[in-house]
Amino acid sequence: MSRTKKNQKKRKKKREKRKKSIMFKKILIANRGEIAVRVIKACREVGIASVAVYSDVDRASLHVQMADEAVCIGPAPATESYLNMDRIVEAARATGAEAIHPGYGFLAENPEFARRLEEEKLVFIGPNSKALALVGDKIRARQTMEKAGIPIIPGMKRVLKDISECEAEARRLGYPVMIKASAGGGGKGMRIVSSEEELRPGLEAGMREAKAAFGDESVYLEKCIEDPRHVEFQVLADNYGHVVHLFERECSIQRRHQKIVEETPSTALDPELRRKMGETAKKVLKVARYNNAGTVEFLLDKDKNFYFLEVNARLQVEHPVTELTTGVDLVHQQIRIAAGEKLGLKEEELSQRGHAIECRIYAEDPSKNFLPSSGKILYLKEPKGPGVRHDCGIYSGWEVPIYYDPILAKLIVWAETREVACQRMKTALEDYVVLGINTTIRFLRDVISHPRFRDGATTTSFIKNHFDGWKEEGASEDLLRLAVAAAAFSDFSRSQAGMVEAATPVKESYSPWKTLGRWRIGGKS
Amino acid sequence: MEFEFLINNVRHKISLEKKEDRFFIRHQDKLLEADIEAISPNMFSLLVEGRSYLVYIAGDKEKKYISLGSDLFIIQKPGEEVRGIDRGEDRLQKEKPVITAPMPGKVIKVCVAENEAVRKNQTLAIVEAMKMENELKSPIEGVVKKIFVADGDLVDSEKPLLELEAPK
Repeated sequence: MSRTKKNQKKRKKKREKRKKSIMFKKILIANRGEIAVRVIKACREVGIASVAVYSDVDRASLHVQMADEAVCIGPAPATESYLNMDRIVEAARATGAEAIHPGYGFLAENPEFARRLEEEKLVFIGPNSKALALVGDKIRARQTMEKAGIPIIPGMKRVLKDISECEAEARRLGYPVMIKASAGGGGKGMRIVSSEEELRPGLEAGMREAKAAFGDESVYLEKCIEDPRHVEFQVLADNYGHVVHLFERECSIQRRHQKIVEETPSTALDPELRRKMGETAKKVLKVARYNNAGTVEFLLDKDKNFYFLEVNARLQVEHPVTELTTGVDLVHQQIRIAAGEKLGLKEEELSQRGHAIECRIYAEDPSKNFLPSSGKILYLKEPKGPGVRHDCGIYSGWEVPIYYDPILAKLIVWAETREVACQRMKTALEDYVVLGINTTIRFLRDVISHPRFRDGATTTSFIKNHFDGWKEEGASEDLLRLAVAAAAFSDFSRSQAGMVEAATPVKESYSPWKTLGRWRIGGKS
Repeated sequence: MEFEFLINNVRHKISLEKKEDRFFIRHQDKLLEADIEAISPNMFSLLVEGRSYLVYIAGDKEKKYISLGSDLFIIQKPGEEVRGIDRGEDRLQKEKPVITAPMPGKVIKVCVAENEAVRKNQTLAIVEAMKMENELKSPIEGVVKKIFVADGDLVDSEKPLLELEAPK
């Protein structure tokens, strides 16, 4: 064998070795709540050990219970725990984890974190830091995509320097305008401003929120497209330039610019538009030299024009609807891509089957403008049944802390048709019991039951148009009576069981409460 | 055995008598016969006139929470109506509305000063909980009489933040 041939063979071997993936033995999940639980389950399924990290107030959280190992990384405020890179890297080192899954939120889209892990020779289960920096900087992303011929929404091409410059820009775009956090996502820091008077307070609030949520207060302005739909495409890209999209998710049902109901397929797309948007989404990730799972968000206007909005460089909250309709486990895919495997999926082999809907269950009071509601979950009954998936981060007896995002769980259903999926979702929501704190469950039931939702007339102003000032409908007289009877029975059986101090005199008392004295549920006294 | 409860501030008197295995329930002018089975301390099965109902129940010191047929009932003991009910709109209608924290959280910013004149719907303070800012707006046109908190304070639900005064 000649020398050159030998060298060639050597090089080829080397190349193959580099491409050959070595699956991780242990993954650290730098997140909490339902998404941490979701990733821990995926790790377990593929035989990888999991490490949970938690703050002081999360010691009793579900993700800590479920992981193989758990490390406390600091006090309750996220900046001192879930956003603390040093502590998370230390935890990975101490436990010997080779890779870190960031979930969504917290450090998931922080290029600094991705870069840090690259330096530390830890694998970030997400895009490379350069691509992350590009798509995470909404202004630079807009510029790059515009250059590549991707349609974008008219707006500022750089972050605001001072407020008067912003005022001029807003006048140029014409009100209403949208304030957006440059580092943003998830609606944090985002707001619509409809007049010059509202601009300054809006900018200040947006900057504060952006600073608190992302540690970066940069904001910019965009023309506000009225009553659009929010349609996004799930994309997977491996480390070797192979890119596939896994179709769309329609996420127009929002409150405070945050999605609460998502579904796929979208009722607004036909096969041709779907193909066009899917190809554009793939192009966006190729232009950004992006790898791992990403979502390309578009706004779709009334005339079916679509505009590139941003890339969500992470696993999305709403990823399960894609999983249920394509049969692809996105977390498994993320792990395999991060481990260096080639994408095993081919575009022409992917298809959507049936219809999936997700409802986000938040600890909020929908009748009070979605005010967060913390407190103890006194009782939880999860909905079950064919085609019902519940990605859950809570349990009976758990206290919801005030420090973090109020998402508790996600309810996802699948069925052959949209109509059946809606029915299935409604039934599952009715079958879902959370006692002790306010949740969005009954609000979501009413959303899913709404005739306009059933028609598929879902635009981003749906909640504002149809559910402004929503109040729960009162129950029927008969049900009310039975509820009162159940309350009475509960006290009755407790007094029978001698669990109440000072046994209740039956007839003498007009109100048993007055004679009961102190009483406690299951108390020791 | 007689009981009294409050639901949405309405008093409900109910009597429950057990005869053999059945319960006789009298509520308002209705008499019901029910077979009640406690499946667990949090779950009762009710059979009433042949119909089956599943009740989920849990309680803390002040309230019982009951889920029945996808409806939720929050049941209080009588005597609670004075406390905690007189909030929101009623109080805001008064001459000197007190703005209270709507949930436990942190005061991000008090946007006004004492003796400052405010418009209706002007933002008075911003309270943050669960990473979401909530702007508290003035329910009236008037003057800020007193401010009870400062930027950065942690506040409990219902804690007074500031007091307003309507113009005379």
